[in-house]
Amino acid sequence: MPDLITITIDDVEYKVPNGMLLTDAAKLINIDIPVFCSHPKLDPLGACRMCLVEQDVRGRWMIVTACTIRVAEGMKFRYASPAATQAREDTLEFLLINHPLDCPICDKGGECPLQDQTLKHGPGVSQFQEIKNHKAKRYPISDLIMLDQERCIICWRCIRYLEEWEDKPQLGLFHRGDRSVIDFFPGQPVDAKTSGNIIELCPVGALTNRVSRFRYRPWDTKNIDSICVHCSQGCNVRLDGRIHQLRRVVARENMAVNDEWICDKGRFIHAFADAPERLTTPLIRDHKGGELREAGWEEALALVAQRLAFTADVQGPAAVGALGSAKLSNEAAYLLQKLMRGLVGSNNVDHRGGAAVLADPRGLSAIRDVEQADLIVLAGVDPAEEQPVLATFIRRAVRRRGAKLLILHPRQIEDTRYPGAYLPYKPGQEAALFEGLSRGLLQEARVKERAARLAGFADLVDGLGNAAVDAAGAEAVRLMLSAQRPMILYGPALVSGRAAAANRASLMNFALLAGCVERTFYLAPEANSVGARDMGLLPASLPGHAAIGDAPGRERLERLWGVKLPTQPGLGYDEMLEAAAAGRLRALYLVGSDPASQGPAGQAALQKVDFLVVQELFLTESAKLADVVLPAVSWAETDGTFTNLERRVQRAAQAIANPHSQAAPDWLIFTEMAKLWPAVAGEAKAEGKKSKRKSSGAARQWGYGSAAEVLDEITRAAPMYDKLSWDALGDEGTQWPLADAAGSPLSAVASRRLTPPERRSVAPGRDEYPYALVAGQVLFDYGTLMRQTEVTERVAAPVAVSINPADAAREKLAAGQPVSISSAVGQVVLPVRLDETVQPGTLWIPYSLPGAPAETLLGSVSAGSGARVRIAPGALSSSEKVG
Amino acid sequence: MAGLGDVVRGTVQIAEAMGVTLKALATKPVTVEYPDEPIAVFPRYRGRHMLRRYDNGLERCIGCALCEAACPTGAIYVDAAENDPENPVSPGERYAKTYEVNFMRCVFCGDCEEACPVEAVVLTQAFPLPEQERRSMIFVKEQLLEPPDANIAIRPAH
Ligand code: SF4
Ligand code: SF4
Ligand code: SF4
Ligand code: SF4
Ligand code: FES
Repeated sequence: MPDLITITIDDVEYKVPNGMLLTDAAKLINIDIPVFCSHPKLDPLGACRMCLVEQDVRGRWMIVTACTIRVAEGMKFRYASPAATQAREDTLEFLLINHPLDCPICDKGGECPLQDQTLKHGPGVSQFQEIKNHKAKRYPISDLIMLDQERCIICWRCIRYLEEWEDKPQLGLFHRGDRSVIDFFPGQPVDAKTSGNIIELCPVGALTNRVSRFRYRPWDTKNIDSICVHCSQGCNVRLDGRIHQLRRVVARENMAVNDEWICDKGRFIHAFADAPERLTTPLIRDHKGGELREAGWEEALALVAQRLAFTADVQGPAAVGALGSAKLSNEAAYLLQKLMRGLVGSNNVDHRGGAAVLADPRGLSAIRDVEQADLIVLAGVDPAEEQPVLATFIRRAVRRRGAKLLILHPRQIEDTRYPGAYLPYKPGQEAALFEGLSRGLLQEARVKERAARLAGFADLVDGLGNAAVDAAGAEAVRLMLSAQRPMILYGPALVSGRAAAANRASLMNFALLAGCVERTFYLAPEANSVGARDMGLLPASLPGHAAIGDAPGRERLERLWGVKLPTQPGLGYDEMLEAAAAGRLRALYLVGSDPASQGPAGQAALQKVDFLVVQELFLTESAKLADVVLPAVSWAETDGTFTNLERRVQRAAQAIANPHSQAAPDWLIFTEMAKLWPAVAGEAKAEGKKSKRKSSGAARQWGYGSAAEVLDEITRAAPMYDKLSWDALGDEGTQWPLADAAGSPLSAVASRRLTPPERRSVAPGRDEYPYALVAGQVLFDYGTLMRQTEVTERVAAPVAVSINPADAAREKLAAGQPVSISSAVGQVVLPVRLDETVQPGTLWIPYSLPGAPAETLLGSVSAGSGARVRIAPGALSSSEKVG
Repeated sequence: MAGLGDVVRGTVQIAEAMGVTLKALATKPVTVEYPDEPIAVFPRYRGRHMLRRYDNGLERCIGCALCEAACPTGAIYVDAAENDPENPVSPGERYAKTYEVNFMRCVFCGDCEEACPVEAVVLTQAFPLPEQERRSMIFVKEQLLEPPDANIAIRPAH
């Protein structure tokens, strides 16, 4: 209970918490003081004078700004007095003098605080008869945001947001008095990754959304609470739909997840939901080499069920595989693996970033915990590109609480500008880097003493040797040891590929030595990376993380599903593609997965399978090769739940529906397909005839009538989802508890054992391939969903290979010049881009560029994020053209 | 047997009745040969909508959807878009990409016209509306737009 003090407003005494801003205190007692510049998430400023009240200052009544006064014992105010009321009315009259009042064409109209407050507190008439000032209208401050300087009331909210949350002062106030304008700095348009939040903060229509511009009126959209599915943070959003189209996405407050912010990808990239290129009907290719033709659902589903069942019968279940995606909802992921395991009888299920990543399925303890840390270690992860809202929380910890950042990354990422240390490494050197740090830690007597009690200590000391620690390493060790509440965050790049196990072991050794292993967290990359694992969309684990080989876990699901389950672990993503290329995998079912656009290897593999089914939103490169294409719907068109990087299960409810499309939700497609499965259909018939044959009840297992019913079954299949239900999840979701994970397969991840370092041989062929390729995730790439949006061309990462200027000078390469880059497995041609944040000796290419150059050079999506490459000037010839 | 009185009374009555007829024969008939002849309506009669233009040919409507918000029957549908500054449809930044009135719903109350900030939508005196199909009772923007040679008399204010 905060200490209460007494203040007087309009001669009435109130008890309010000490030190609270007067505007907030007044709200508690139902006095609604109007504000423009004041905002609960921004520091008080007092710029707009909307909140004027009278205060008794030593016996004299003075006009003061309520939004900047912190209440203290005995303070006396007048809100409703004639002088105060007049002062507020005058403020509004002045604000409106130069306001264009073009409400009819203003996107804020209908939800505009200036309109509302003018009606409530304004004068109703204007005494101003002169000509209004004119300033810039339709003035873009970035590719995403339009500024109308005439409408601006100079409240500074936009400037303050960019400074206080993004720490990027990209907007400023120019000129004086009634000529004041908001503007960006010459040649530097706003590019903060969460810049769109200033649109919502702006109390007038000065800042508007260029993607949704003029496409909605606040009173005629149907608004549905949902979440964003572009990254693993799962920011809460509201989807505003009209005539079956998604017209606008705005943020929704959820203090635990996203405060009230969303990033620009979540806000602006949604055209894919309404894109005319969406698949609207099932397609069938009658014979190899033929064309895809339109077909009905009955025919398509029966064909898929029969062919998959037939292949499993004749070639064995292991000849059938399915690749899902970490963008699928829990319901879709669960049913896909249930279909594969229960009906096909194969454990060949995986997704990109699935089995190949040694992820910690527990994810982050809680998102807002990052704000409590005094040292944040970012190991191979760049939140500014991967989880931009989390990045603002990290910056907040740095700016507001003096946290330091220790950054280990192949690129000098943006946040290396903060106090702390930056340790660069090249892909392949991760383990060595952590071993160096561990050596540094062990030089400290107290670390050594503490660590000596841990299992595996002697072997570790032995294996680490006693090479010297360099200066940067020593600084990192010093930071680590002086921190009270350090936190280590690592991403998938560190724990995937050939060295995944070694990297993770060396990271965990380091964390154990630093006494920080409980605060070492995995940042999952995609919207449902955590959920896909929980649902068992993996070749070796079942829903709830029970291992395939774990008999009690398997039997529990056998009882639930009424079938016998295969006991051998299946193939992972790359293995399935290899098996397909080798002719061992004969039927492949892709759900939201597009291996063909991830380089020539994936394409070749898909061409080899006898029967390819692709369930997708668009006719992707893989779908073009398919025998049957099933049109699915996007997250906005069906109900579903997603589990974010802190294990929070959240609802994404259906917001729109296209009446002209036959596309169906994934869960419904699986359900209907299962009913047509020969065994199930036969059984249903047999049951109908009341035959004596003993029925396992599989037919009854696929009777889902809604996504919520699938979730009901999930709560029985995955113990950590126990007690969840669609209704109980509410608007803010629920974190599945870690306590329940104790004793479950999850606790194995948290072993407190030191692992001796692996002996590594130096990778051969250094001279032939002198550069290390660094590949990684950027916020705006050319992924399937991004490509459908007009703004992509404007905001997406440049399609280029980035190289350090020093290397470029040595190789005699100029910016923009096309170069050919080759690795042991592939070759691509890209224009050169000079970038100082790229370390010498490395080349940087983001994932998911047109033509998938990074994926082509890596050869497989599971190879980790690095490869050795060489670079040579090369013109774009038609055979090598990228894109 | 009818008396003479009856005959005289009957004759007078017939003459009176014939008088009405004869008088009517001399006046102009009220019946209008619609649709061959135009029909006159009262000056403030509210008929089918029209979307007006400015003298320079630009559409007045800015797609603000206030008419749609004001309409008590949900008869209007507006979808706006951004003007191409080189080739604008209406003055300013915004225009109506889609504008539809559903005449199966409209009750000709005139609230839309009242709401319009730029006097773009007006109810004209045109009333012939019958159509063969429901679908064609929804008038789209092209049908509603003022033809270049139209000469609209704006109804006097109430
Ligand atoms: S900002 Fe508000 S008051 Fe100003 S034109 Fe837009 S809707 Fe009207
Ligand atoms: S643009 Fe909007 S948020 Fe920024 S100062 Fe002007 S009114 Fe305030
Ligand atoms: S006249 Fe009345 S009912 Fe008809 S469209 Fe206008 S507002 Fe709606
Ligand atoms: S007709 Fe008038 S009220 Fe209706 S959208 Fe056009 S400008 Fe707005
Ligand atoms: S709200 Fe107090 S000065 Fe702006």
